[in-house]
Amino acid sequence: MRLRARVSMRPAGRPLETRLLVIVTVALALGWVGMASTLAGRFTTGDPLPIVCWVLALGGTHLAFMVSGRSLDQVLLPTVGLLGGLSLLILERMPQGFVQQRLGDRVLGLGDSQLLWLLLGLGVLAVVAISVRGVRWFREYRYTWAALGILLLAAVFVLGDEVNGARLSIRLGPISGQPSELLKVILVVFLAAYLADNRPLLARASLRIGPLALPPLPYLLPMLAMWGIAVGLIIVQRDLGAAFLLFSVFLALLYIATRRASYVVLGAGLAILAGVVLYRTVGHVATRIDVWLDPWVDPSGAGYQVVRALYAFARGGVVGTGLGAGLPQVGSAPAIPLMHSDFVFAALGEELGLLGVVAIVGCYLVIAERGLRVAARAPDDFQALLAAGLTLVVVIQAGLIMAANLRLVPLTGVTLPFVSYGGSSVITNGLVVGLLLALSDRRAIRGAPARSSRVSRSVERQERDPAVEGAAA
Amino acid sequence: MDAFTVVLWILRLGFVLCLYLFLFMVVRSLWRDLRSAVADAAPSVGRLIVVTSPLGQPASGSSIPIDAVTSLGGDVNNTVVVEDPAVAAEHGLLSYRGHAWYLEERAEGMRPMSVNGAPVDGGAAVRFGDEIALGRVRLRLERPLADG
Repeated sequence: MRLRARVSMRPAGRPLETRLLVIVTVALALGWVGMASTLAGRFTTGDPLPIVCWVLALGGTHLAFMVSGRSLDQVLLPTVGLLGGLSLLILERMPQGFVQQRLGDRVLGLGDSQLLWLLLGLGVLAVVAISVRGVRWFREYRYTWAALGILLLAAVFVLGDEVNGARLSIRLGPISGQPSELLKVILVVFLAAYLADNRPLLARASLRIGPLALPPLPYLLPMLAMWGIAVGLIIVQRDLGAAFLLFSVFLALLYIATRRASYVVLGAGLAILAGVVLYRTVGHVATRIDVWLDPWVDPSGAGYQVVRALYAFARGGVVGTGLGAGLPQVGSAPAIPLMHSDFVFAALGEELGLLGVVAIVGCYLVIAERGLRVAARAPDDFQALLAAGLTLVVVIQAGLIMAANLRLVPLTGVTLPFVSYGGSSVITNGLVVGLLLALSDRRAIRGAPARSSRVSRSVERQERDPAVEGAAA
Repeated sequence: MDAFTVVLWILRLGFVLCLYLFLFMVVRSLWRDLRSAVADAAPSVGRLIVVTSPLGQPASGSSIPIDAVTSLGGDVNNTVVVEDPAVAAEHGLLSYRGHAWYLEERAEGMRPMSVNGAPVDGGAAVRFGDEIALGRVRLRLERPLADG
């Protein structure tokens, strides 16, 4: 045991990660020079400081992973690096006045603020990936997480700033953030713990309504209540995107835990019912759906954003206009409202074209594969569900906003992970990928001998007597 | 076409090529990883053929590759999940020890399992071709397929 510990502490090479990071660096350098030259109209590197900072930070994280001696996944960091780099390329190129962030006595523009968030997000990713060795305590505090999540939402409701009719952000002194970003992670941890505890009971249907098999009600009710509170508050806050995201992750995890398609059918039915009811009753929802069905009814009003996004994709075509050659602004207004956050995918579609857009979708598919692979070889139910849930939060959110940009689904305001502007989003996604990386290290999960025996004993106890656990719930 | 335009096109082309080179390298490594995971998977040492299964779990007629230690029972955490009112959450353990199969009773107070109709009292040896019954579910132990 001592021998193995010593071996694992020795810095280990990460050849694949090195190679991939070199490719990412070359890609970002070419993109940066191409963009700066297009904007200046002559061959120039522009001011490469932001992209150099990002590449150096990626290199530093890579070295830290090597020195830590953990056997972390080698694909996730370069993928995040590429997405973050694309974010810098497109945001540095937009008019910098879209965002003004005060840092001491300096005022940062859009691109520089995003660089700050990306560096903070990468820092969180690295610290979590290297330092989180056991995830046992996540599971032990599951009801604390649930309470914290509800508290966060309530705090936003009471203290939040109202922007465009949606209460999303909360301001504490100089720091403001969007707690619903963090809420996603907290909810995934809670759901993973809850489902891992009650998996045998949930999988064994005892209540049958026609062809539908339902789990015993006392075990499903706490979870439905949790879901109802979260979704209810979010609907009150008018954050449709987060509500849809949480519900789809909830259904996916329920399916993964029980392998019962009937739960998914039931859940999808509930979602459609909620959708129809909300469409009839809530004006805000009806507008979104009407715009999705036909944005050309009111192209300069309600449908403006969506129509402009479609034009951007059309201008991009197959190969794109080239970085720096798109039209990010009309006069002093952005070409697409919110094109630095919700519609960053359309901006990328304009400048990189179909080729670039497919590559971006590919990056999220890579994250999905790596995350689900971590889940598939996790040593226990909780870690498997946690890894799957964290992966799905990132990937479903990316799919949701990309599809909304292309008018495949109604627009819901969520960010494109690592690419959209936004501190809460980038840092939370850094936390999520950091946790996935930590879970990918199978050597650390076995842990020190004294600790692992206690863990296995308590896992055994739970699996042997699920009824006691469920009743305690 | 002047030199500047050509340089721009080379830069843009290089950028897109790098994006796809990145994806190509990632996909190649993922593919190798999946292939090695398939190769590393422990070869199965036997198969259970489902002879009868009134409730469909496991599905009748299916062939389940099994490892040296296989748990049978109604709980989802068993290697082979067997659904039947007369089957306990953790009912039996089928293990391959020293070139012989052995079936152990793990549930107390349930109707005992049987091997070829003879009740298993605590434990019993099983050979390839023998039929194991738990409740109304009947499983036949078979040799593994040649390619594992």
